[in-house]
Amino acid sequence: MNDELHEAFLDLSSTLTGYSRFRLLGTGQADPYLSTTREAVGEEVLAELLNTYTDVHRDAGDDEKALDTGLRARILSDRLLGPVARNVIKMWFVGTWYELPQEWRDVQATRGHDSTHVVSPASYTEALLWPTIGANPPGAKAQGFGSWAAPPTIDAP
Amino acid sequence: MPAPIDHAAAARTDYDVLVVGSGVSGAIIARSLAERGLQVLIVEAGPGEELSVAEYETHLTRFYGAAAKDNNSAYEVNPNAPMPRSPDVRRLQAGHPDSTSYLIQNGPYEMDSTYTRVLGGTTMHWEGKALRMLPEDFQMRTRFGQGRDWPIAYDDLELYYQQAERELGVSADVADQTFYGITFPPDYVFPMHSLPQSYLDTIIARDLDGTVVQLEETERTILVRPTAQSRNSIPNPAYDGGKGYVPVGAVSTHQVDQGDRCQGNINCVPLCPVQAKYSARKTLSFGVRTGRVDILTQTVASQVHVGADGQVSHVDYQAYGSTTSPEHVTGSLRATTYVLAANPVENARLLLASGLPSSSGLVGRNLMDHAYLLTWGLLPEVAGTMRGSQCTSGIEDLRSGDFRTRHAAMRVSIHNDGWSWPTGSPYTDLIELVDDANAYGTALRRRVADRISRQLMLSFMIDLPPEPSNRITVDGRYVDALGNLRPVLSYSLPDYTMDAVAVSRRVSRQLFQRLGVEDRTHYDPLDPGFVSHQGDGYVIRGGNHWSGTHIMGTASHDSVVDSHQRSWDHQNLYLVGSGSMPSIGTSNTTLTLAALSFRTADHIVSELTTRPSVTIEG
Amino acid sequence: MSLRRIATVEDLQQYLHVAMQLEHATIPPYLTALYSMHPTANADAYRVIRVVAVEEMLHLTLSANILNAVGGTPDLSANSFVPVYPARLPDGEDDFEVGTRAFSRDTIETFLKIERPAVAGEDDSRFVSRDRSAGALLPAVDAHEDSLHFFSIGEFYAEIGEGLERLHHEMGEGLFCGDPARQVGPAYYYSGGAAIVEVTDASSAAAALRVISEQGEGLGGGIFDEEGELAHYYRFQQLLLGRHYQPGDEAGSPTGPALDVDWDAVYPVVPDSALDHYTEPGELQDAVTAFSRAYGDFLTRLTEAFNGRPDLLLPAVVDMFHIRDLASQIIRNPMPGRPGVNAAPVFRGLAPVEVA
Repeated sequence: MNDELHEAFLDLSSTLTGYSRFRLLGTGQADPYLSTTREAVGEEVLAELLNTYTDVHRDAGDDEKALDTGLRARILSDRLLGPVARNVIKMWFVGTWYELPQEWRDVQATRGHDSTHVVSPASYTEALLWPTIGANPPGAKAQGFGSWAAPPTIDAP
Repeated sequence: MPAPIDHAAAARTDYDVLVVGSGVSGAIIARSLAERGLQVLIVEAGPGEELSVAEYETHLTRFYGAAAKDNNSAYEVNPNAPMPRSPDVRRLQAGHPDSTSYLIQNGPYEMDSTYTRVLGGTTMHWEGKALRMLPEDFQMRTRFGQGRDWPIAYDDLELYYQQAERELGVSADVADQTFYGITFPPDYVFPMHSLPQSYLDTIIARDLDGTVVQLEETERTILVRPTAQSRNSIPNPAYDGGKGYVPVGAVSTHQVDQGDRCQGNINCVPLCPVQAKYSARKTLSFGVRTGRVDILTQTVASQVHVGADGQVSHVDYQAYGSTTSPEHVTGSLRATTYVLAANPVENARLLLASGLPSSSGLVGRNLMDHAYLLTWGLLPEVAGTMRGSQCTSGIEDLRSGDFRTRHAAMRVSIHNDGWSWPTGSPYTDLIELVDDANAYGTALRRRVADRISRQLMLSFMIDLPPEPSNRITVDGRYVDALGNLRPVLSYSLPDYTMDAVAVSRRVSRQLFQRLGVEDRTHYDPLDPGFVSHQGDGYVIRGGNHWSGTHIMGTASHDSVVDSHQRSWDHQNLYLVGSGSMPSIGTSNTTLTLAALSFRTADHIVSELTTRPSVTIEG
Repeated sequence: MSLRRIATVEDLQQYLHVAMQLEHATIPPYLTALYSMHPTANADAYRVIRVVAVEEMLHLTLSANILNAVGGTPDLSANSFVPVYPARLPDGEDDFEVGTRAFSRDTIETFLKIERPAVAGEDDSRFVSRDRSAGALLPAVDAHEDSLHFFSIGEFYAEIGEGLERLHHEMGEGLFCGDPARQVGPAYYYSGGAAIVEVTDASSAAAALRVISEQGEGLGGGIFDEEGELAHYYRFQQLLLGRHYQPGDEAGSPTGPALDVDWDAVYPVVPDSALDHYTEPGELQDAVTAFSRAYGDFLTRLTEAFNGRPDLLLPAVVDMFHIRDLASQIIRNPMPGRPGVNAAPVFRGLAPVEVA
């Protein structure tokens, strides 16, 4: 995998999910999610997303407000990139690639693997929604007998 | 495990008992008979290669990878022995049956209940609540002028309830479970102590205990109680007169050291990943170890034949090699006694397909299932929802009382899995927050936690009396891949039940007011199960507690089986499971049908051992 | 490390301390191999290693029960309790080293050595006289007989068994002077395998020892123990041979179902991870530090549990599940500046802060 692409995808993902690179890498899912995105939207759209993010990030510098504004203006509200970015968020949180909106598919005439699917059994068990709520994915990574009697440990940012 | 038997060898063997179905009823009867020396063959329509953890975990991996995680998503789609799946259910247009999926829905009510056709049956996906019925539930006609009485009483079943609690490994404490007429022998304890209540439960109990609810003339004071569950907890050393209880862990051909205690995977339905929850595979493995139980999977019982003497003579089967191809071989199996333990829908379907509607004509009729009303909202504080087993506590106080002359009783469960049943949370919450609320990054994390960890969902499980018009039939137009007739469902919710739905909604509002819960309950008229009643609309969900299709009674003209679940018409045929139950009260049916299975096993043994031709070993 | 033949209760207690150390010393290597596998890959191998790790926890608890029964005081919280990997086993087996390594054939070979069956006969022949090992972990207890080593864990436990018998013969029930309330019973210790044994007398002590040695190496040279469980040695061997054992099999020739192992579905974790591998400030360092703190807390919790609070084993299991999640995150992260090498947790509590 192209290292630069990989790094850019991690940086974008970190901003979009609110989870650090360490936590994202800790799922073991960065490569499969990058591949899934590429297969669904194609090389060009992926490159545009990552390049735009790199630009937004560079332009914003350390200014968080500027990063937020730039992200909304140039990615999240962009007809092409917005739906892809939202899909990347959802993929990290639940391990599922959701079919892109019909409008997007019509414009892009997507021919990739874009139907709703769980990326892999591991992407389900490693999804980030569960630690976000101090829980475990149903059917995996349980917290142990009686753990549910205590208040949850919610790792709020 | 002994070497698996093949169909040719089974067809050559004279079994004492042929059991159709490897779910909890069939497994208990098979084990119980084998332990007393009888030779038993079980045929299971669904797949199941072996009683190993590796095989079990194929279901788990399938679940992980399933985009829609419904209650049968762990089990493969199998056209040769299909099963109902809740995502298949569609809103019906009046007068237009939906035959697009296995269970044909004739309406008017669309039923989203399911069952599971795999080795171990529906106990693979059951949640594991193990509730005794109340004594008054057995006398619905006498006490409340509703439904039907049982030919036996609570006291006749008490000892069998104890056996069922041992077999199913029930965790509970007697003090919590003694209510509304339920009695235990003086020194009785459950095999294991109660599962710890969830943090969510303790929040609810803190604010709800002591709330007074009015049901007609009955006043009830709410007490949140731990729920009896077939799920491993801390063994009670006082069990069995101080002998204690050894929990049954994962069924395995190779030791796996798991399943000895619930870990809180919150996935009881559709599959406990560690087998801390009881499934019939546990009973089957004990049965197989006797050396007197053979099991044939992927073997569909297709026809029951009755001889001139009125006795069942043989059962035809279809054995398929692959779930992806309808290719199969056929043959016949013979035994002295036959037990249909396929579940209430499949038992009725098989009998009707075999031209055996019974002399009463009641096979398939009196179909019951609990009607579930779900209500949900957001608690004012973080409750740690989505942890534990799916339910650890409930409210038992609305189950009993003279109000049952006017409307049905109900039992409330507090759901540790939040809104997942009614709304598809947390997936739907995430999608809404990302796609509609435009949240991302750390703000998204905070909002996800805030939205999901405060979720409260209550389920009201509402009694439903037997009505002959609620029924399973067959219709030559509808067959499955092997050519077997598919079940056709006609079903409506009686006013007695719907009145209790309206009461449940009112009670829910009162409880939410007491808790300060932001009520988010919403019933969409476009959803399957939407029912209007007295100007209000509700979505009613099925409980997967199919019952009544071979109803038990005191005479052949108005029932299908006697109190031992023996067919009135065919003396060597037993129809077992919740299909025999004349009422379902407000208890999940499994513990009661397990108790009935033990009682039936005793009866079969006494019948067979009085015959000189049968030798009992040991 | 040296031990003399058991002659006094103090000797016996010393042996049992070493036993706990020994059982624990196997757990970080087993868990590192386990968590180095890709998630949901290698289910067969995962189950095999997981069962053995769980049973080592049982052995640790059984050793604590015996030690408590003879009036000892378990302590897992001392910094010296945990070996620095690579290490030799605390019973003095010094012809191989144990490390915390990724799942691989070599790692399984080492595990086979840990669990190897006893070969010695009775009495003194089980001791192997060697020079003191450079990797020795404990100071000598007894200066005049300081070069005895055991060939296998089985032989080490055989000496404990005989020592117990000798002392019981001399002292009678007075040997078992410990407070029964310190025993861990089935209410608080659980697993799907052999049950925990509460030790209050000679026969329960023997039963506890039997579980430990049979689960490790089989019964009297057989591959299965009395309960029909496959001994650890043969469990691991299945991974190399690619096939499950089934009852009736001869050692070395399993005939059960095939066992699939994907030796490549593994994160290449740094061997024998140590805190000083993580000098670069940042999230990885924070995570490794947090892990060690959590592990130290876990050992402290176990110590409390084995000193009169058996109920604390329930939260200790919850700790273990949490430790698993922390370890997995670390293992999937690359080591900065070392391409192709991933980080790994350090299974020891943080060293006490030195006061300047």
